[in-house]
Amino acid sequence: MSARRDGNVIVLEGACRVEDAEPLLAWLQADRGLIVDLSGAEHLHAAVLQILMAMRPALKGSARDAFIREWLTPVLSEADPLGMAPHEG
Amino acid sequence: MDDLLQHFIVEAHELIQQATDDLLALERDPSGTMHLDSAFRAVHTLKGSVGLFDFAPMGLALHAAEDLLGALRAGQGHIDSDVIDSLLDCIDQTERWAGTIEQTGKLPSDAAEEGYRLARLMRSQLDNGSTSVAPAIPEADLGWVGELMARSDVSTPSREQDKPLVAVRYTPRADCFFAGDDPIALLRSVPDLVAVRLATRDPWPPAAEIDPFACNLRIEVLSSAGLDAVKAAFRFVPDQVKIHEIAQSPGDHAHVAEAGHQFAGPAAGTTGGASARMLRVDAARIDRLADLVGEMVVAKNALAHLAGLAADGLDRKDFAHGLLASQAAIDRLVAEMHRAVMDVRMMPMRDIFRRFPRVVRDIAGHLGKAIDFSMEGEDVEADKAVVEGLFEPLLHVLRNAVGHGAEPEHVRQEAGKPTRTRIVLRARRIGERVMVEVEDDGRGIDPAAIRRVARERGVSSADDLECMSDAEVIELIFAPGFSTASEVTDLSGRGVGMDAVRFAVESLGGQASVRSTQGRGTTIRLSLPLTVVMTRVMAVRVGRELYGIPLDGIVEAAFVPASRILPVRDAEAFVLRDRTLPFVRLADLLDIPRPAEPRSGMKVVVMEVGDELVGIAVDEFAERMDVLMRPMTGILAGAPGVMGTTLLGDGSVLMILDTPELLG
Repeated sequence: MSARRDGNVIVLEGACRVEDAEPLLAWLQADRGLIVDLSGAEHLHAAVLQILMAMRPALKGSARDAFIREWLTPVLSEADPLGMAPHEG
Repeated sequence: MDDLLQHFIVEAHELIQQATDDLLALERDPSGTMHLDSAFRAVHTLKGSVGLFDFAPMGLALHAAEDLLGALRAGQGHIDSDVIDSLLDCIDQTERWAGTIEQTGKLPSDAAEEGYRLARLMRSQLDNGSTSVAPAIPEADLGWVGELMARSDVSTPSREQDKPLVAVRYTPRADCFFAGDDPIALLRSVPDLVAVRLATRDPWPPAAEIDPFACNLRIEVLSSAGLDAVKAAFRFVPDQVKIHEIAQSPGDHAHVAEAGHQFAGPAAGTTGGASARMLRVDAARIDRLADLVGEMVVAKNALAHLAGLAADGLDRKDFAHGLLASQAAIDRLVAEMHRAVMDVRMMPMRDIFRRFPRVVRDIAGHLGKAIDFSMEGEDVEADKAVVEGLFEPLLHVLRNAVGHGAEPEHVRQEAGKPTRTRIVLRARRIGERVMVEVEDDGRGIDPAAIRRVARERGVSSADDLECMSDAEVIELIFAPGFSTASEVTDLSGRGVGMDAVRFAVESLGGQASVRSTQGRGTTIRLSLPLTVVMTRVMAVRVGRELYGIPLDGIVEAAFVPASRILPVRDAEAFVLRDRTLPFVRLADLLDIPRPAEPRSGMKVVVMEVGDELVGIAVDEFAERMDVLMRPMTGILAGAPGVMGTTLLGDGSVLMILDTPELLG
């Protein structure tokens, strides 16, 4: 498991795989105030990434992985997300 | 080739044909849901069968075609000739692949590329279809490329400006995670990223209802790595991506071009089916054969019984009587079995006719002619050899009808004819023959033009032409040398003229004729035997060899005393009942050494060749027999003077001579 809960921080480490998506979603559904730490992540599976895109948690740390830093983090921290704000409900 | 693959090939050819038929019908009548359903089923079944083998590109293309047909069924998009063309393109390629698989057992090396192209073609039709429902213009479809470009200008400095860019829109399937896909890993593998945009395919549902296992991403990418490298990265998900190449001009006008390949033109003609195709036979016909074999066993037992009685010293007269009865029974059975086997070989014209609507459509499209093509008598049956042998000649005749017969629309309108040229392909059974006609209501043949051309090309002398009626002149289109290379276009044939049509038909034992009225139209009529008939031959001996001569050319057999054979210059002649006939030795005709000749005289077969009688000397007359003549095939096909062969009871081969050709 590459996703673990550390207090009010969800730490994503190493290569995050499709199995990580479900617990990640469950944690964020339960508490939208949780912070996600991407700094140790080496890869984000699309399933994990889309949970982050949907739930838009606050992010912590800058990913060491260049690809995540350059191409994925900007998407997650865009001020005006492209029509993907979660419907309130 | 293993059994499963063989069945697959047979099935594939049938399903491909079915799909083609349905698509053409659909084009004529876009509201024909029956044809749409049928085409969908054919493609769906074919796709399923392909899945059993390692023919991924074929499956990919068919899958996309199935999706497109499915969408059309669901009422998304219009059925227009564009969509039909794309689908036919896919079906055509599938057919070519099936042909390659039949020969080599595998797909050609460029199949992946081609499958990818077709899948994308289908996909783009699908997208066009869905956007055309909304009043969106096609350019809007490429709007995302522009947005992506704008984005790249912001996010990256202009260092990439000179390089051609490739834009990709990758919409992973919702269930792609289950297939083990990770779109982000794929994104990571794209070389030289310039811009990335991640969005959702559908808006997110409320947080509590998010399905973590359904992919809801849309990934748009700009890369400067070049088309091939980008395509390579997405090679496993070609049905989920759209790739566009963007040529960047200095004026900053992005030029978006669909990164398609040149359409590989349809392979020149469809192969005439020379390869061994399997024959599908109605089970009832096989049952009939089995019954006859049963009766044959009974007849054989009767003969065995008779043999036993003979051993017990049966009265000679009774024995002869029993033997005759037994022979009569076996005779009847052999005749019936022959008929039954011929029945098995019978196939309907439909098997070749169904390929023609497509051909006519393509030729007409190519030449910009409006054609109403219809067919009659697809159910008429004839021997497999006859039906299959008709494909090439008919193809050529139809090409001529479209290419030469059909006038431009305005000419037709001026002549008060319907704008579309009517071409009818018709088969009819007349007695023991089958008549196949191609009739058009086009411009007809101008006898004056034929006379001129025939004179110019030396097909016929001016004097002869003078004496010929118009109908006879028109028949000259079948004369060798009448059509010349100048008329050979990619449509009117590959260097074959109407003489080739006549030759092909005559080699099947048929005749070709033409009727034409200038301004009214032309009818080409091919008349063929229904079956490959039993030939009656007379066997003759020269030296130690036996040869067959077809009985229908033989007038009589005679013994000519040596004294009546007279030298005439460097040839010989003999007198038979006050007529002097040329005398030739079969040994000379066959170019074999003359055996020693008896002093008393020669045995002569008197034959009618053309309008003349000729005596052909042989060493011995042997028996008359009914044989199933096999035409010469393979390297022997060109052997002069031999019509065919047949197997004799002792297993030896009897050559059946074409005496007129030998004498000619």
